[in-house]
Order: sequence, then C-alpha cells, then structure tokens
Amino acid sequence: MQTGKVVYRHSAVTRLTHWLFFIAFLALVSSGLQIFNAAPYLDASDKTDMSRRVLQISSPRDNIGTTTVFGRTFTTTGWLGWTDDGMGGKTGRAFPGWITIPSYQDLANGRRWHLFFAWVMVFCGLAYLIWGIGRHDLRELVLRPPDVPKLLPMQLYYLRLRKEPPPHGKYNPLQKLAYTLVLFAFAPLIVLSGLALSPSFDAAVPWVTVIFGGRQFARLWHFVLMIALCGFFAMHVMLVLTTGFRNHITSMITGRYKLGAHDGVGI
Amino acid sequence: MKRRLFIATSLSAALAGCGAIGTKLTGNQGFQSVLHTAEGLNLKLIGTHGLAREYSAKQISGDFPINSLDTPSDALYEHLTRAAFHPFRLIVDGMVDRPQRLSLAQLAAMRRTSQITRHDCVEGWSAIAQWSGVALRDILALAGPRAGAQYVVFHTFDRDADGLPYYESLSLSQAMHPQALLALRQNGAPIPPDRGAPVRLKVPTQLGYKSAKWVRHVEVVASLDHLFAGKGGYWEDQGYEWYAGI
Repeated sequence: MQTGKVVYRHSAVTRLTHWLFFIAFLALVSSGLQIFNAAPYLDASDKTDMSRRVLQISSPRDNIGTTTVFGRTFTTTGWLGWTDDGMGGKTGRAFPGWITIPSYQDLANGRRWHLFFAWVMVFCGLAYLIWGIGRHDLRELVLRPPDVPKLLPMQLYYLRLRKEPPPHGKYNPLQKLAYTLVLFAFAPLIVLSGLALSPSFDAAVPWVTVIFGGRQFARLWHFVLMIALCGFFAMHVMLVLTTGFRNHITSMITGRYKLGAHDGVGI
Repeated sequence: MKRRLFIATSLSAALAGCGAIGTKLTGNQGFQSVLHTAEGLNLKLIGTHGLAREYSAKQISGDFPINSLDTPSDALYEHLTRAAFHPFRLIVDGMVDRPQRLSLAQLAAMRRTSQITRHDCVEGWSAIAQWSGVALRDILALAGPRAGAQYVVFHTFDRDADGLPYYESLSLSQAMHPQALLALRQNGAPIPPDRGAPVRLKVPTQLGYKSAKWVRHVEVVASLDHLFAGKGGYWEDQGYEWYAGI
C-alpha cells in the first residue's frame, strides 16, 4: 500500500468542470422548482390530463398544504403546498421560497436562470467528456464488465459486512456505477427531457418528445431525473464528508490527493 | 464527530445562503445580461422553423384552460361583442404597400387553413384544440411588406389592470411560417369572447404567450424599440423571453 503518498488525481479540466457543474446544478434545481411551482402537477401523458396525474401539490384552503402521489393524498403543510412565500409570509405554493430562485414566485426570472445554467451544464458535460476521451480521468471512471462482479463485495464492505474492499483502481466499482449512470444516463436524459418541453424543439425534432411519452410525460421524466441526480448529490456529499473531507476538497481544488489505506492504487 | 457535525451544519447553511444569493443576483443588471445570452443561443440552435405536430380530432382536449387577463373591458370591444363583431375591421398597416381593413366576412372568404395542434403554456400545461382561419402569410401577401420590414406586431383590445396594452410580435420569417395562423374558429365554432374573439393569433411552435388573443391591428415594423418597453410584447416587457420557443 502507498498510504500517505500524495498523487496528482484530478486534472485542471476535471476540477474546473466539477465546480462549474456544482454551481449549475444548484441553480438548475432551485430555478426548476420555481418553474414547477407555476403548474405544480405532473401527468403521464402528452397534453395535460387529470386522469393520468402522477403528482399534484396543492393548497385546498389557507394553512393546509397537500401532496397527492398516485392518487394518495398526504398533508404536507409547511413543506409542500402551503409554504413560505419567499417574502416573510406563508402562501399556497408548492415548493417553499427557501429552495427556489428567486425565493418569491417569479416564473420569468426562474426561466432565465434555468435556461442559462442548462447551457452551463451542457458545456461542462461536453467539455469534460470530449477532453476526457482516452485520458485517465474518464477511463478510470467508467464501469466496465470486469467491475460488475465486484459491485456486491463493495456494497458489503460499505455495509461493514466485509473487512476489505475488493481490489480496485482509482475508483471503486460502486463509484464507477454511480458516475457512469450520472454521466451517460441521467445527465443526457435530463437535458433531452428538458428540450422535449420546448414547442420549437418538439417541432424540429419530434422523436425526442415521443420517446418520453409526450410533453407532460417529459416534464414528469425531467422531475424524476432531477430527484435521481439529487440522490446522487446527497450520496456524493455524504461520502466526501465521511471519507476525509479536507483531503477530497483539497484534491478537487489543487488536484493533489493523499492516498488512504483502502484507496485503490490508480493514479 | 464534532468536526463532521460542524462541516455538515456549515454546508446546510451555505446551501440556504445560495437561495438568498440567487434572489439578490436576479436584481443585478449585469447578471441579468449574462442570463440573457441563453435566449440568443436558443433562438439560433432551436429556431422556429420546424412544423408543429398535428393531432387527430379525438385527441382534442375537453377542457382547454383559460389563462389570461379577463375578457377585455375596452368600450369598443364591448360595443363590438354586442354587435356580433359586424363593425369589426382587422387593420393591417405599417411598412406595407397595401394597407388593409378587413371585415370578418372578408377574412372568412379568404383561403381557410385548419390545424389541430398542442398549445404549450409557459407555466407547463398543454392542451390540444383545432384552430381554423387565415394563414398569416396570406394576410401579409395581401398587404405586401416593404423592404426593410423586420417584425410583425399584433395589437389587441386587451389591457392589464394598470392599463398597459397587451401586444405581441413575431419576426417576419416567423410570421411566414405555414402554421402561423390568424384564427377565427376554435373546435369548429367561432372563437368565444373569453378565448380571443373574433380573431386571435395561433403560433403552435412557440409557447402560448405568443398567441395573442383579441387581435385588432397587425402592424409591420422595422424595429420593436419604439413600442412600449421595447421588448416586443406585453409578457416580454414583464421579463419573459421574446423567443418563446422554449
């Protein structure tokens, strides 16, 4: 083992696109929830169709907020439906002001943020992928067939049911699975499902809206993919916090990473 | 463990702070002009030249939402509704060779086009309806735009609570799109007053706010700068993008 050895782990392009992506992600989620608030329901259909409603957040009367998922209604007062209006009061509003940009109801500006940072995200993703072709940053990150049998042992290690992680390179098999899903499935799909909401894009490239099951269905996919990416983000932050916060943050700023006892050798 | 708790607490505080920064930045002119660059990029890359999907009659929405300011309280408009729109004349002027004043009978006698298209609202909902009327490009051909004409502006009978008139605009090439329609009928019947009678614009390749209701005057212009706040439409003047394709 090379425990304690400092290696150059993240290239400048990786570090730059990582932090830009981080800013874009926060801006996109909070402006996206602002946009969602303008029509706080999701239908599994092309046109709006209440008979195919999957999610509805509403305020049936003052001081009551409800969330209906697949026809089952929950009281979510204070969290969803009846929430802070971003100006110090409470109002009938799906997502609360503390999580939206701007904090108060403002669809026009929410759209401006969203449509700008969507491009930031696309450019970061493309720059990272194109630059990474054939380089170790990306090659080490992608899940390959030999990694698949190591997924379960790695999970067992995380659950403390196994003493040692299976041998691996720079990233362990579960990290590879997560990064591969995000880079090659969730991120491209969330961009495409967002574009499917555009009437001009739908007119120009109609098959995209069709593969998502129509415009309202694409809106549902866009939302579900956002939840999936938030799940990845939460897991990512949790692991950074619990496996050497300072070392990880330093390596994503300077590129230099101090190898731990269980780190794969890699680069 | 204490250190981890401290880090987690500071991270949550930082996240909550992000929203406050976002709200502050929204009011910053420089930042707004940065955000604004996306509109030009979207217009260039997505454009407005595609043909909107057309649907079958059985896919028409049973309940098309009404989402606009109320039926105009304009005195002339009220007079016109009482007179079943007989005195109504659609004015077509500005930078054209042959200004027009078209009655509903004259419009109805022109070549009729029909479409069953999806109306996509900026709020997020969609509804399908059949619209029929006169292709905007036929009206423009009648009037003959002059060299130098860039935009087509649609003035309406509608005003908001502060008296600001509702208007919209398209570029000349968007106005020549085969599906850009001055609609006279919705789902086979004359358009009802709350949905834009007697003539409304229908641009199925852009978000619903482009499709102005209660159109009274079509004006061909070289620039949008001199109109109201200069952004090319009522909603545009309120901060929505002129390019309503996304």
